[in-house]
Amino acid sequence: MALNSRTRSLLLLLSPASIFLGIFFLGPLIIMVIFSFLEPGLYGGVEWNFYHWNYGRILGWADGEWEEFDPVYAAIFLRSVRIAFINVIVTLLICYPTALWVNGLPSRWRTLVVFIITLPFFVSLVVRLFCWVLILRPSGFMNSILLGLGIISEPIDIIFTETAVLIGMAYVLLPFMFLPIYASVEKLDHSLVEASSDLGGGPIQTFFRITLPLTLPGVAAGAILVFIPSLGNFIVPDLLGGAKVLMIGNLVEQQFLSARNWPFGSALSVTIMLVMLTLIILYLRRLKRMEINQ
Amino acid sequence: MKRSWFRHLLSLHGILFLIFVYAPITVVVVYSFNSHPVNMMIWKEFTFDWYWSIFGFPTELNEQTLYVESTDQLLASVKNSFIVAFSTTTFATVVGTSTALALYRYQFRMQSFYRGLLYMPMVMPDIVLGIALLVFFVTFGIKLGLMSIIVGHCTFLVSYVFIVVTARLAGMDQSLEQASADLGATPWTTFRRITLPQIMPGVIGGALLAFIISMDDLVITYFIAGVDSTTLPVFIYGMLRRGVKPEINAIATLMLVFSFVIASLGLYLRSRK
Repeated sequence: MALNSRTRSLLLLLSPASIFLGIFFLGPLIIMVIFSFLEPGLYGGVEWNFYHWNYGRILGWADGEWEEFDPVYAAIFLRSVRIAFINVIVTLLICYPTALWVNGLPSRWRTLVVFIITLPFFVSLVVRLFCWVLILRPSGFMNSILLGLGIISEPIDIIFTETAVLIGMAYVLLPFMFLPIYASVEKLDHSLVEASSDLGGGPIQTFFRITLPLTLPGVAAGAILVFIPSLGNFIVPDLLGGAKVLMIGNLVEQQFLSARNWPFGSALSVTIMLVMLTLIILYLRRLKRMEINQ
Repeated sequence: MKRSWFRHLLSLHGILFLIFVYAPITVVVVYSFNSHPVNMMIWKEFTFDWYWSIFGFPTELNEQTLYVESTDQLLASVKNSFIVAFSTTTFATVVGTSTALALYRYQFRMQSFYRGLLYMPMVMPDIVLGIALLVFFVTFGIKLGLMSIIVGHCTFLVSYVFIVVTARLAGMDQSLEQASADLGATPWTTFRRITLPQIMPGVIGGALLAFIISMDDLVITYFIAGVDSTTLPVFIYGMLRRGVKPEINAIATLMLVFSFVIASLGLYLRSRK
């Protein structure tokens, strides 16, 4: 009887999430995977036949009848991976010293500064990117200032370049790098740092021998949290990269909203998901191993 | 001695960081008050007219340059955003909290599966979830509209509430619940009088987070919004794609203020414990 009521309340608490996520989260993912193995119809629909060439197309092969070998999609995929990777490095270089700085502040300031740092990231993504559109476009803020100061004689094109995409991407994803790093810097045992400097270690030596190794889990978490949304991003390249800096996200969007090749779009999307799952699994394994070692 | 130059360098970096974060926002806010109708980067004079014109009031500026295509569309998208945000917040808060309670209170075999299931939507790239939902809705003939947006938002917002409430539960004093049960209170009374008041800050914090994320969501909404049910971020994104107009400064500034108020409210509630 006791077990019964326990089971009953467990079921009651758990069933809403199980039913809802089962239908509307797992369901759509399964349908998407199925779609990625269907043949695209001639006029935008799908044929319910098994068809694996959607994945072949990503690598450059097509079914041989319709298209010849052309690695254009693979090139876009590689560019996306490269941009996401550079973005991880950029945000890391920006956020790590900032985390050290915040951690060194008097404790009554720390919470306030962390709040000030994270506040802008509650603002809508589209508003934050609009700020950069205003700054970077040819008649924008940056060119106005540079022209006014006489540093340049005619407007330079920054928007619609890879640099613009990288600036926007870093700006949008900063907190995902900052917060995990800050959390691990904050937890750092300060006596180790003091011991190192007491024993004659310079700040640089102390940093590379003590601080950095001990905060690597935070860096790894930040790297994953920045890499995943960078890879599939299509809003940033769309607004700041224009048609020149296509990323895999733009490709997916095109397949769904203009090219109407849903199976191919699904295959691209499944690929993004697989990259994400691989990274997460590697991270969790690594984390488990580190916990065992400690 | 050596430590001090290191700290100075860090402080300099920290201040540059804050400038990098706040300067772009400041540019938009300042220029939302600029009356130059053609090149908004040239400062002419201070004006509130862009704010009036987005709400459809006649101003000197929009006599010459009528930019916002339709104030009605803008206001409709704001209304849609609020409908979606309130519905999703309510649903996600109830479901997220009950799941957090279930996983915290009971030990059962599927526990790690559920934990994984709840973390997954948070790490899933927006675009993947967005198109998966689109394919799903279209395959099953579900009409794209406000309802599909609400369902779509809930799939990941439940997780956010779950995480915030779980964190709160982990810091809770369990002895109070035991004392209540020992003194003969029913599980329901214990929940209502002891557990709920203790986790309330977590529940409210999770709800505010869900609300703000729902209001801001662009990518997922972009794919699953029907033709006549755009939300505010999707509407602005559409405007931006067609070109930069001075009114967007004013709309962006209003959204900024709104987000700042909600986020500050969240922090205030959290600091009160």
